Amino acid sequence: MTTEVLPPLPLVNELTAPFWEGASKGQLVIQHCNACGHFQHAPEPICSACLSFDLGSAAVSGKGTVYTFCISTQAFHPWFEDKLPFVLAVVELDDQPGLKMITNVVGVNPNDVKVGDRVEVTFQPLAEGFVLPVFRPVAQ
Amino acid sequence: MAKKNRVAIVGVGYSDVSRGTGYTLDKLTAQASVAAMNDAGIKPTDIDGVVVHSFPHQFVSSTHTAAMLGIPDLAFYSGNVDGAAYSVAAMHAIAAIASGSAETVLTIRTVHKNGAAGGGGPVGQYIPGNQQLSQPYGSFAGSHWAGMYMQRHMAMYGSTEEDFGAFAIAQRKFAVANPTESFFHEELTMEDYLNSRYIAKPLHLFDCDYPVDSSSALIFTTEERARDMKQKPVFFDSWANGTTKEADFSLVGDMTHSSPWMASKRMWSRTSLKPSDVDTAGLYDGFSFIAMQWFEALGFCGEGESGAFVRSGATSATGSLPTNTDGGACNVGRRHGANFFIEVTRQLRGTAGDRALPKKPEVGVVSNAVGGFAACALLTAE
Ligand SMILES: [Zn+2]
Repeated sequence: MTTEVLPPLPLVNELTAPFWEGASKGQLVIQHCNACGHFQHAPEPICSACLSFDLGSAAVSGKGTVYTFCISTQAFHPWFEDKLPFVLAVVELDDQPGLKMITNVVGVNPNDVKVGDRVEVTFQPLAEGFVLPVFRPVAQ
Repeated sequence: MAKKNRVAIVGVGYSDVSRGTGYTLDKLTAQASVAAMNDAGIKPTDIDGVVVHSFPHQFVSSTHTAAMLGIPDLAFYSGNVDGAAYSVAAMHAIAAIASGSAETVLTIRTVHKNGAAGGGGPVGQYIPGNQQLSQPYGSFAGSHWAGMYMQRHMAMYGSTEEDFGAFAIAQRKFAVANPTESFFHEELTMEDYLNSRYIAKPLHLFDCDYPVDSSSALIFTTEERARDMKQKPVFFDSWANGTTKEADFSLVGDMTHSSPWMASKRMWSRTSLKPSDVDTAGLYDGFSFIAMQWFEALGFCGEGESGAFVRSGATSATGSLPTNTDGGACNVGRRHGANFFIEVTRQLRGTAGDRALPKKPEVGVVSNAVGGFAACALLTAE
């Protein structure tokens, strides 16, 4: 008997729910301060820019730049064993200087990815109704 | 006005160290503590402070450690699970002694082989907290952010895998000269380095520290007490922590100027010593790029020039800054920073045996960590 290998799935909480709910609707949704307009990722219970607790969320453009990346060639979880090599990246979003997220860059040969590449969000089904926002090169 | 005591290192010690000792964290901790007390020539009743740094899932209690060792009463204790590994224990102990809160403090870092940060949670379990925003992308291990820090440096400064390889090769030379502590006994060639497998390209296997079971202990005390002890004391001249605005290592604002830059700037602002006064260095090498970032942050070379600095031979035994003269954690095994404090102490007080540097050092620098948090300190022989 083999055990089905599941991906690492989120235990969604109050702070992360907008991100996952947005993704399931094909939107990249980031925590957004209702008081000062600051975007914050990962989400926290307080805005680090103005200390407001009045936090909401907003869809962002989904466009960004590869800040850095590595090509993962070793799986640290069984789910990734048949997905090697894959590109793990930090993408800086256009919507606010320094607003970055950990993600994957897909749809490109990993060896062709470069720091500074322009990318846009796309959505990959994960499992059990979860959708993962990832990035692909912007069509030239 | 409060008196600020000068702080000295008077004892150093290791537990048995191997890929699998079969020993509990407590036994390793006790072994290292006894070794450090023997080195200092002191008894448990001479100690009035204990500070331990350990991982949350491998917690070692400072008060339990004291009880285990028969230390009757603690004026200061702290068990930390947050921040820059061994250096957190060191910084707490220095602050305690300098402020007069305690006189003689045992500092400890204990780690089991499989205890590195990352590695992923149990399969099939839902991921709590903000790790749910990284693990579904396959981001689990230190090697992942390490590969990304290296890539950023390469993109910003044109550094190459060979630059990081030059560091691995240089410190392996020291390891070969330290056969009793090193797990590796043959020199590394650039071919060996480049042919070693990628973990997270550009990060190679030989960029990673070597996971072992280990405990490391150092004893700190006041100058006054240190003068009466068995070993020639080594003194802290200046010390500092530094952190970044972002706690997540993968999301720090500037990967090529992370916490080592903040800690270094603060440390230099508190001393009359300059980089050119430093004779030897022990720079954290959890991944080889970390030591490279410290060369730049501490001002031993220009920004982005750590590769050229290492290639010039500067970090070798006869260079201007012999670095990681025990072989570093990539070779002697993961001690999470403590080995650098221990080895620089041995070089400065003249107990490094066959590894004594050709030019006896008077000033050394030690460091720990990178990314979100880091610390460094200047040590002097007098
Ligand atoms: Zn705000």
